[in-house]
Amino acid sequence: MMFRFLRRFLKEEIDEQTRLRLKFEHFRRLLENNSRALEIMADMEEKLSGDFLFDTVYLQAQVERLGDNVSQLVTELNLLTENHYPELRSICQKLQEEIRRELTATPAIPPTPFVLPLSALTREMALSVGAKMANLGEMGNRLHLLVPEGFAITASAYKRFLEASGLEVELEKHLAQAPIDDLESLEAISREIQTLVRQAPLPPDLEAALVEAGKALQYRGLAVRSSAVGEDTEFSFAGQFATLLNVDAGDLPTHYKEIVASKFTSRAIFYWKYQHFSPEELPMAVGCLAMVPAQASGVMFSQDPHAPESNTILITAVWGLGKYAVDGAINPDLYRVSREPGLQITEQRVTAKPVALIPRPEGGTQEVALDPDKARSPCLTPEQIQDLAAIALKLEKHFGHPQDIEWALDESGAIYLLQSRPLRVSAPSFGVEERESTWEPVPPLLRFGIRAVGGAAAGRVFLYLRDEDVANIPPGAVVVARQPAAKLVLVMDRIAAILTEVGSPTDHMSILAREFRVPTLVEVGGATRVLHPGQVVTVDADAARVYPGIVAELLEARARPGEDLRQNPLFQKLRRLLKMATPLNLLDPESPEFEAGRCRTLHDITRFSHEKAMDAMFALDVDQSLRPSTCSRLKTDLPLNLFILDMGGGVRVPGQPWVQEEDILSRPFRALLRGFHHPQVTWAGQVAPDLKGFLSVFANTMYDMGKAEKGLGGKSFAVITDNYLNFNSRLGYHFAILDAYVSEEKNDNYISFQFKGGAAGVERRERRARLLSEILDYLGFKVKVTGDMVRGRMVKYSLLETEQTLELVGLLSAFARQLDLALTNETVVDRCFQAFKDEDYSLSFLHPEQSAT
Amino acid sequence: MADQILVVDDEPNMLRLLKTILMDKTGYEVTTTNNPLEVSKLLQEKPYDLVVSDLKMPLVDGMDLIDIIKKIDVQLPIVIITAYGTLETAEEAVQKGAYDFITKPFRKETILITIKRALEWKRMQKELAALKK
Repeated sequence: MMFRFLRRFLKEEIDEQTRLRLKFEHFRRLLENNSRALEIMADMEEKLSGDFLFDTVYLQAQVERLGDNVSQLVTELNLLTENHYPELRSICQKLQEEIRRELTATPAIPPTPFVLPLSALTREMALSVGAKMANLGEMGNRLHLLVPEGFAITASAYKRFLEASGLEVELEKHLAQAPIDDLESLEAISREIQTLVRQAPLPPDLEAALVEAGKALQYRGLAVRSSAVGEDTEFSFAGQFATLLNVDAGDLPTHYKEIVASKFTSRAIFYWKYQHFSPEELPMAVGCLAMVPAQASGVMFSQDPHAPESNTILITAVWGLGKYAVDGAINPDLYRVSREPGLQITEQRVTAKPVALIPRPEGGTQEVALDPDKARSPCLTPEQIQDLAAIALKLEKHFGHPQDIEWALDESGAIYLLQSRPLRVSAPSFGVEERESTWEPVPPLLRFGIRAVGGAAAGRVFLYLRDEDVANIPPGAVVVARQPAAKLVLVMDRIAAILTEVGSPTDHMSILAREFRVPTLVEVGGATRVLHPGQVVTVDADAARVYPGIVAELLEARARPGEDLRQNPLFQKLRRLLKMATPLNLLDPESPEFEAGRCRTLHDITRFSHEKAMDAMFALDVDQSLRPSTCSRLKTDLPLNLFILDMGGGVRVPGQPWVQEEDILSRPFRALLRGFHHPQVTWAGQVAPDLKGFLSVFANTMYDMGKAEKGLGGKSFAVITDNYLNFNSRLGYHFAILDAYVSEEKNDNYISFQFKGGAAGVERRERRARLLSEILDYLGFKVKVTGDMVRGRMVKYSLLETEQTLELVGLLSAFARQLDLALTNETVVDRCFQAFKDEDYSLSFLHPEQSAT
Repeated sequence: MADQILVVDDEPNMLRLLKTILMDKTGYEVTTTNNPLEVSKLLQEKPYDLVVSDLKMPLVDGMDLIDIIKKIDVQLPIVIITAYGTLETAEEAVQKGAYDFITKPFRKETILITIKRALEWKRMQKELAALKK
C-alpha cells in the first residue's frame, strides 16, 4: 500500500518532468514548422518577381509542403497548450482546401450569350471571346479605328456545343482509349476527333443563334477565324491558319464546327490525353467578320523586331487579300517609316507581285494573275503608308507594347484593321548592358545588408522606432527601422523602401514587403544611426547600397516591368494562391483581435501560433513542475540557488547532481551567466545602507536558506537545451521570467522577459518599471508595461545579437538589483538610464561616498 | 542568321514562359512544342542550333529525346530542364549526351547563360571540324 503510494508519487514527479520535456519537444517542432512555412512563402513570393521560371509541378509541391507545415504547426501548438486552440485546426483545413481548389481550378467561362457583336467587345472580354476578337473590339470601340462588321461566337457557345452534343463524353472516352505510340497514331486520332466534331449536331438553340447572327449581317461573304481563349500567339494549339475566307454566312453552323474542329490538333490531343479534358479548359471562340473587298492588304510591325534601335515601323503589302502577305506566298512590298514625328518614309522596296488572292463571287478565294504594270507598282501611296504608320503607333501606345497588325485597304482606300497582337522584339536591346554589381554611381552611405525584396527607390528617411509611429509615416518615405515590423504592412502601399538593422528575407515583414513590391534591405547595420530623418536617399536593394540624394540612373534602370511575364497563367495562378496564403491580418499581438478565430490566411496562422507558443513557453509553470531532487544544481560563486533541468544538449555530462558553470553548453544560458558575471556587478556587495538589494530578486538563497525552507520560492530554475533557456525566478515579492531561444535560424530566435513585483511602494515600483522598459526598449525589445509589470520581447535577431542581448539582460538584472528602493524620484530614473547607456553598470552615482574614496 | 532554338515541354504555360524569356531581346528564334512525338519531324523540317527539353514528359521523356536527337544530329546541343530533387537523373542525362541541365524553378539568367554557353560550344565544335578538314 505504502509502496504503491510512493510509486504513484514518484511517477507523478517523473511525469511532470516528462510533460515539460514533451512540451519543449512540441515547441521545437513548432519552431521548425514555422520556419519552413515562412521559407516556402518567401520562396513562392520571390517567384512572383518575374525573375524566375517555374511550372505547375513547382506550385503543387510548394502548396503541399506549405499546407503540411502549417497544419503540423497547428498540431504542435495544440499539443503544447493542452488543445487551447481547437478552432485553428478547422481554419487551417478550410484554407488548405481552398488553396487546393485554386490550384486545380481552370478559369471559368463567363456566362454570355452565344453570339456577341463586335460593337460590344473590349479587351477585357478575352475570356469570353478570345484575345483576337477582344482586341479587335477594343480597336473599334475605344480607339474608333475602322474594323469590319462582325460578331464573335463565344466560349460559352463552345461549352454548350461540347456538352449538349455529347462530344464532351465522347472525346473523353476517345482520348482515354486512344493508343498513342508515335506521331502517326497521334495524328490519326486527331483526324478522327476532328471528324467527330464536324459530324456532331449543334444544339438547336446554338444553331438558331448562329443562323440569326449570320442573317443579321448584311454581307454574305464572311471571314471565319479561330479566336482561342487562354492561348496566345506564343503557343497555340489551333495554329495560325484556322481561318476560312469568304464563306457563306448562311452556312455558318458548318463553318463554326470546322473552326472548332481545328482546335483538336495533335498537340492539343497530346495535351488532353495526359491531362483531364474539360470543355472549360482552353475553349475556342470564333470570330466572324464581313470580308473586306481588299484592293491591297498586309502586315505591319510598330517596331522592327530585329532592329528596335532603328526606331522604325515596318509595313508589308500585297495586292488583294492579306493571306499572301501573312504566309509569305509572294514577296510583298516593304516600307520602312521612321517613328519620329513626321513619320518619314525611309525605305520603299516595291517588288514584283505577279499574282493576288481575291474573293470568288460564288464563295472562297482564287488566285488571279496581275498585269505586269500593276504587279510592279506599289500597293500603297505615301499618304496611305503614313496613315498606317500613325495607326501602328496609336495601337502600340494603347496596348502598351509593340504590335503586330493585319490591315486591309478597301476599294475606296479606307484602312480596315483585322488583327493586332503583341509583337515579340527579339533583337538584343540596344545599349542595355548588364550592370556590374560593383558599379557605384556615387559613394554610398551604406553598403551592407541582405536583399529581402529587390528593386530601387528613393525617398525621405523616416526613422521608425516604435509601432505607434506607423500612423506618422508620410507617403513616399524610406522607412528605416531597427527591427522588422509586420505592422508596416499598414503603409506598404505608399512607402518607397524599407531598411532594417536586423531581420531576414523570410520574416513576416519581408514576406509582406514582397507582396507590395517595396524594395527592402535587412541586416543593414547602423542604418538608424547613419541615416537622418528627412534625408533624401536612394535605396538600391539589388546591390545592397544606399546612396545620398536621388540617383536617377538607378531608378530608371530598375523600372523595367516584366508585364508580359506576369500575364502568364502560371504567374496569375501563383498570385491567386499567394493571396490566400500570405496577407497578414493579425498584426498586433496586444490587440483584442489577435485571436485564433480571426486567422484568415496561412500566414496569420503561423504568426498567431508562433506568438502563442512563445507565450506558452514563457508561462510554463516551471517551479511547480520541477523538484530539486530530480534536477542538477549549479555550482557557482553567484549568490544563486539554481536548479537545472537539461532537456538535451544543455550540459556537458547529463544526470550529474552538481554542474560546473563551464560545463553548461546551453548557448542562451551561457550568455545570461556571462551577464551575471559582468565585472562591474557586485552581487554580494553592500549597496546603499538603507536599500534592500535587488539581489533578492534573483534568488539569493545561499544567504537566505531560511526562506528556501518555506518552499520553492527561494530557488531559481533553468530549463535548458543547447539552444533554449527558460529561467524562472520567484522570490518573496519579486518574480522574473526569461525565456529564450538562440540558434543559427534567425526566424526562431527570441527573448521574452518579464519582471514584476518588489517590496517598495507602488510609486517606486512603477518608476522601476519605467526604467526597465526604457532600457529594454533601448536594447531593441518591444516593451509593454502594466502597473509594475514589465514585459519585453524581441524576435528574429541573429544568433550573435540575441546572445549579446541576453548577456545585457543578465547584466540588467544585476544592474537593477539596487533599484528597488533607490528610485526616489524621476530624475534618478533618467540618470540610471543614462548610466546604463554609458555602460556604467556600477551605479556609482548612487553611492557618492564610495566614489569619493 | 539568328540562332534557332527548339523548346519541348508538355506544359503549354511553361512553354509560353520559356518562349517569352528566350526571345526577349536575345536575338534567338524560338519554336515550341508540347508534343515530344513531333520533335524528330520538326528537326527534319529545318535546322536547329539547340534544343531545350523538359526531362519528365508523358510517353517520350527527355531521356528518350536525347537518343532521338543524337540520331538526327549528333552535334546538336541539348539543355535538359529537370524538377528540383532529381539530380541523379539529370546527371544521367548529361552522361547520355545532354550538354547541360538546369533545375526548376530557375532564374531567367540561368537558362540564358546556359544557352549562350551551349551555342558557343557548338560554334567551336564547328570551327574545330572545319580546321581538321
